[in-house]
Amino acid sequence: MSKTLAYYPGCSLHGTSGEFDASFKATARALGLTLQEIPGWECCGNTAAHSINRLLAAALPVNELAKVEQDMKLDAVAVPCAACYSRFKTGAHEVADDAQTASDVRAVVGRAYNGGVTVQNLIDVYHDAVGLDELAAKVTRPFAGLKIACYYGCLLTRPPKVTLADDPEYPTHMDAVVKALGCTPVDWNYKTDCCGAALALTEQHIVDDLVGRILTDAKACGAEAVSVACPLCQVNLDGRQSEMMRGKSDWQPIPVVFLSQLVGRALGLGDKELGLKKHLIDITAVMA
Amino acid sequence: MATTCTPSVGLAQTVGKGCGENAYKCYQCKKCTTGCPVAGYAGMHPAQIMRAVQLGQLDMVFDDRFIWLCTGCETCTTRCPQGIDIAAIMDELKIIARRDDRIPANTPSAAMLKLNYDSFVRWGRMWEVELITLDVLKRPMSAKSWLSLGPKMMLKGKINPTLKRGDTVAMKRMVATAESITRTRQNAYGAAAANAAKAKDVPAAKAKPAPKNGGAS
Repeated sequence: MSKTLAYYPGCSLHGTSGEFDASFKATARALGLTLQEIPGWECCGNTAAHSINRLLAAALPVNELAKVEQDMKLDAVAVPCAACYSRFKTGAHEVADDAQTASDVRAVVGRAYNGGVTVQNLIDVYHDAVGLDELAAKVTRPFAGLKIACYYGCLLTRPPKVTLADDPEYPTHMDAVVKALGCTPVDWNYKTDCCGAALALTEQHIVDDLVGRILTDAKACGAEAVSVACPLCQVNLDGRQSEMMRGKSDWQPIPVVFLSQLVGRALGLGDKELGLKKHLIDITAVMA
Repeated sequence: MATTCTPSVGLAQTVGKGCGENAYKCYQCKKCTTGCPVAGYAGMHPAQIMRAVQLGQLDMVFDDRFIWLCTGCETCTTRCPQGIDIAAIMDELKIIARRDDRIPANTPSAAMLKLNYDSFVRWGRMWEVELITLDVLKRPMSAKSWLSLGPKMMLKGKINPTLKRGDTVAMKRMVATAESITRTRQNAYGAAAANAAKAKDVPAAKAKPAPKNGGAS
């Protein structure tokens, strides 16, 4: 059975996180999903729009959803970037929740969005669109119990009124996905703590503190690698770690992989199409 | 520590008008502060910001760096027992600070948000390389933090210098419409609030002489 999803890569997957885009597309192909990129997609507005113009922040993602619903005639869109996902869910929530916002957004977008599109993040695609049983059935190169700390960060589960996450403080869907690949998810404390996000551009010392705390706990709880589903989390956990090692020679690095790379490796896909050499902290040993 | 005091009866109302949240529901349990990843890095923390909004303490809110460190991680919003969307209030305070020209010095994040906004408005998509380049031009000292990480990321092919534009025509049209609707709403509310304040101020001034706080602007 082949499913077709609209695909919204977002700016980061075309920028610093090319391996996220490549590995996600490769796994979708291998899992029998057809991805159709939204033609002429634009930025979701990211962190900037909602702190500068609230209406534009709601309208930008709703414009993309209207394209999926009315031009592409599809009922689901895959949005692997956690920040874009959050903007899509928030935009859809705001127009469904408030008549004034809905009418303002309609004026900005130029047409109404009728709420007919399901927004799926990276975990949702594997957990729900594909399903755990089907995923496990397609695994050809299972991991031998690699211990993984599943890091969800902020926006995959929060705020729950928008994401409708089962347990926003201790989510487990990513854990279930890595388990289906033969990995062992570890219980740990910083699953949904913030990595500092865009402060990495302006307040690096804060991000270093936050990343240090998150990774120290992951290691203390026995993880051999951290799995992420957000390009900014990956850049921060990976990149700041490489900077911290310059200051602290005793820092033992821990690899930070995209969930899509773990899935791809278990499906038997090649290192190159998964972009395994693109990380600053080497991940090839845990992915061997 | 700021010694001046510019109370504004309208701050909580302005915030409420902008984002639909009622700051007066906060009863200072400080759950927001406890979970906040950046609470320790500024003079104020989220619960103090909420109190200052209730009391109309503009200087306490806008002279501090806190709102500009807020990452929008939504932990406060998720945990607030009163169901207040605190992160939305922080966003609204950023919008007000920018509009009223109350962004304090030493808040590079405020400038970065604007560079980011301008970038996606210009190209239809946000261009990371442009952001960092323009930021370094504005704050040459920030180049120091890229000296080591920048080349490493480049060598790994993580920096894509090219940009595929989005639909820039549609983007410009949406931005223009959104900004115009927002302005109309703000002007309408601003005029109504000014009238309400005028009506309120007359008996208040009679009952109590205005406090003499020489340094207040």
